[in-house]
Formats: sequence, structure tokens, C-alpha cells
Amino acid sequence: MENEMICLRDKIGEFLCEFAKQDNRIYVIDSDLAKSTKTLQFEKEFPNRFVETGISEASAMSIATGLASEGMIPFYVNFAIFVAGTAWTQIRQAAYANANIKMIGTYAGMDNGKDGASHHANEDIALVRAIPNVKILVPSNVKEMKEAIKIAIEYNGPVYIRIARDNVPNVEFNGVPEMGKSTIVKDEGNDFACFYEGTSATIAYKGFEALKEKGYKGKLINIFSIKPLDLELINEISEKVKCILTIENHSIIGGIGGAIAEVLAQKPTHAPIRFIGVKDVFTESGTATEVKEKYGLNVENIIEQVKSVIN
Amino acid sequence: MRDIKELEKLANENRKRIINMIYKAKSGHSGGSLSIIDMLTAIYEIDVNFNENPRSRVVLSKGHTVPAQYAILNSKGIIKDEEMSTLRKINSRLQGHPSIKDIPEVDATTGLLGQGLSIAVGMAIAKRNKNDNHHVYAIVGDGEMQEGQIWEAMMQAAHYKLNNLILIIDYNKLSSYGDVNQSMNLEPLKQKVEAFNFHTIEIDGNNMEQVVNALYESYEVKDKPIAIICNTIKGKGVSFMENNPKWHNGEISDEEYKIAMQDLENKE
Repeated sequence: MENEMICLRDKIGEFLCEFAKQDNRIYVIDSDLAKSTKTLQFEKEFPNRFVETGISEASAMSIATGLASEGMIPFYVNFAIFVAGTAWTQIRQAAYANANIKMIGTYAGMDNGKDGASHHANEDIALVRAIPNVKILVPSNVKEMKEAIKIAIEYNGPVYIRIARDNVPNVEFNGVPEMGKSTIVKDEGNDFACFYEGTSATIAYKGFEALKEKGYKGKLINIFSIKPLDLELINEISEKVKCILTIENHSIIGGIGGAIAEVLAQKPTHAPIRFIGVKDVFTESGTATEVKEKYGLNVENIIEQVKSVIN
Repeated sequence: MRDIKELEKLANENRKRIINMIYKAKSGHSGGSLSIIDMLTAIYEIDVNFNENPRSRVVLSKGHTVPAQYAILNSKGIIKDEEMSTLRKINSRLQGHPSIKDIPEVDATTGLLGQGLSIAVGMAIAKRNKNDNHHVYAIVGDGEMQEGQIWEAMMQAAHYKLNNLILIIDYNKLSSYGDVNQSMNLEPLKQKVEAFNFHTIEIDGNNMEQVVNALYESYEVKDKPIAIICNTIKGKGVSFMENNPKWHNGEISDEEYKIAMQDLENKE
């Protein structure tokens, strides 16, 4: 792959510090994982606006709500499984209040490979997506990540940003990311349209290239905004292509495949949709690459799925 | 210091509002609303000025007793008299649990037990950083003390030495199931709260003089959050409701309504 591989997680602290210098309402809340989530820099630069809660995710989320109700813009940064899973009813109450809280869930999907199934956040999109008021953004490169944080700061209400721990290709990106907008990153034909979320960018690019080698010409679309979805783009593309493929570092239940299927199912006709992701099973330990490969995020699966529709 | 008799009178008026609301709603939590109303009335009268911004905040973590909060907001003119008969009814602002989207003056959206003290911790940290000297109150039920998140928030409040945070525990000894300590023993409650590094005051929470004294004592505390354990009577003020777990939640009949209002009028 021509693009440099980068770890978006490594930029979390740096970007939050950058924005916090200009805006003293920005807080970071940590639950004993600042070393892993890279918010230590924020603690050093803004000790008064860094709230360590200890290992207490539920309380941390509600503390964020309290800070927000006093006019602050708190970012709760933690592993995706703890943010979306452990503190789910706390997010739901915050969203019910439309509290101005921001959540960053990193170590998304199977990115925390070796820790095993307990730590694989393959359900976070499904969990958060079901809650009214919460917006969900998934950046896939450095520029998008910084913009996602900026969008979250400017938007008044709860936002969940899903950030990869595993390396992703730092694709050159000339557009301006927007809430509710997806981006066509490659447009080479109408055989298929492949939608991916940022943390599965690596396999999406590999799959796209492999399909090209097999003679399939399609489109590669970076979804970026999972909630709200870019309905216009999804509807338009679904009428042009022969197959829709969704790729996600997540369960195929309730993630981006599910979200797009909910849109397409309402149309009288649409291209068949195939889902690449974890198939309703618990995963296991291994390197992130090995786990993803074994549980469906592999080139062979992508080719097979497209072939099952087009041939 | 506010006149005790005057506060007692206001609390009794609020009790009538609670009974009226729940009677008309044919549903709602009478017992816990009546046990906390003395403390709640005192807090709002002494320390919450709705014309100020910023001001002190009250998080009703035991959100099911929201009729108590609505009664006070009605007395302040924030909830209009005609709205008071709409509790728990469709198209009403008066939701079954506090919702700031509907009524911003309730200060926090609660109802799922255990979360309000943490919200109050977040508010208290923000207020301290902004040099805002107002207080943040978290009203927590005794049954709610069984929630793990409460103890997480207690650690955090003490860790950050939030002396602007006042935890009010409504210890009426009864939860939905019955005897709260039989369902899960809280005792020794005072020692536990003290061990979590709170300045802990234990009072009769239905005695207005003790309530007021405890609040003024709280305002003097340095370097620690404050907990006021209010020993109260569930259903306080209405003869057939007092200490009867049946009145955790439920419809008030026409006959019961008459007795309840008579009980409260006799106290005037």
C-alpha cells in the first residue's frame, strides 16, 4: 500500500490539547487509561481540566454530564468497550438530556487484539446508534480525526467518535469532513460500492485493490458519519451499482451494514447488500491483524461476497 | 437564618401539592416525596435563587420523587398551577422523572438510580474551577445507596475535596420491596459514609430546625464533601402512608385523598 500507516489513537491527546488551548471549556475525563488513550499530554498541560475518575466508567460518564450542564465541553476518552458498553445507561441519560458531552472510544472493534474477546468492542456502534440524539463519527485519517473533534466541539449535543488503535493508511484527503456526509474516496466503476468505517480502512483498501485485480470496478466510500447517515449518497449509489458491500471492524449486527440496510430496505429495488464484519460470535486473542483476518475481515471474504452477487 | 415556622408551613403546602398531583395522576411516588420534602423545601428556600445565574443546583438523583421537586417549582411560579394536574400525562412537561429537556429548572435528567451523585460531582468540579461559590446538592434515596455508582462518586467527591457538594441521603428505611436494610443492609451507614471521607451529619430529616442547622453547618466545611443523613419517615404527614411500604408508588383513591388532605390541613 502506497500510504503511510499511522495510529490515530496516538493523536488524541495532541489534538485535544490544541483545541483546549483556544477553548477553556474543554475537559478530558479519564478512567485510569490515559497512558493507553494518549491523553497524558492533556493532563500535563491542563491539570485542572483533566478529571481522573479511577476505574469507574459509569460515574465518569455521569461526571461528564455534570460538567456539560455547567457549560463545559467534556471529552470522555476510553476504550470503546467501556465507553459504549459499561456506561451505556449513563450515555442514554446524557442523550435524553441532550447533554453536550463528547465521547472518544478507541481500541475499537478488534483493535485490542491480544486482550481477547472481553476487550473487543464489536458492538459499540450498535449500542450507541440505538440511542436518540447521539451523533457518531468515525475518522479514517489524521485530517478527518482532527476535523471530527472540531465538529464535536462545535456541535451542541452528545457525539461519539470511534478511533482506531490499529494502524490505518493515512490517505491523502482533500475534502472537508462534515456531519452527515460520506466521501467517495475511489470511483472506478459501478460493479460494486464498498462502504467502510474508518477503523477498517486497511482491509477496505486491500479488498478494493484485490477486487480490481479480479476485474471488478467499483467505488470505495468512507462513511465517516454513521449518525446521521449520508442518505442522499447511499440512495444515489444504491441505484447505480450491482452490489453494495459494507466493511466494518464490528459485528455485522447493528453496525454500518445494518444502518445502510435499514435505508435500502425501504426502497422498492436496490442492489443486493453483503456484510463484511464479525458474524455474531465472540472472538479470541491474537494480534489485531490475525483476529480480524480470522473473523471475517479478509480479502478472500470480500471477493467471495462480491462474487456471490455479481456472478 | 430563615424562620423555622415559616419553612414548616411552606413544606406543608408542598405536601399538599404532592398529594394533589399524585391523586390527579392516578400514579406516582408519594412516600419518598413526602419524606424528603422538608429538606428539599429548606434547600430551595435557603440556597436556590432562580433569578441568579450561576446559582446553586439541586440534582434529584432519586428521580421518582419528582413530585416533591415539581411542588417546589410550582411554589416558585416555574410550573404553572394549570400544569400541576398533568403529571405523568401525555403531552405534559411534567414527566414521571426529572427531565431538563422539559423543565430546565430541575437541573438534571435523572430517574435511573445511582447516576445523580456523579452528575453533581461533575457540576461541583466545574463550579470550583469557575470560582462559582454556589453549592451542588445531590438528593439520594436510601435504596439508591445500594447502587455501586453512588460509592464510585463518593470516592471521587472526597478525592477532589468537593466541599461545595452536599449529599443528602433520604433514609426513610423503606424501598419498593419493603425494609431497605432487609433487601440489602446499608448499616453501619454513618460509619461507611464517614470512612469515605465525607463530613457526615445525621439528623431527623423531618425536623425543620435540624434540617436548617445541618445545611448551615455544611456551608462551613472545608476540604471535604458533606453528607447529611436524613432519618425520615416515608409518607411523612399523611397518617395512613407513614412507614407503609405500600405507598412507595401507587394510586390514591377518592377516600384516601380526603383523609390525606385533612391530615395536612390539621397541621396548619
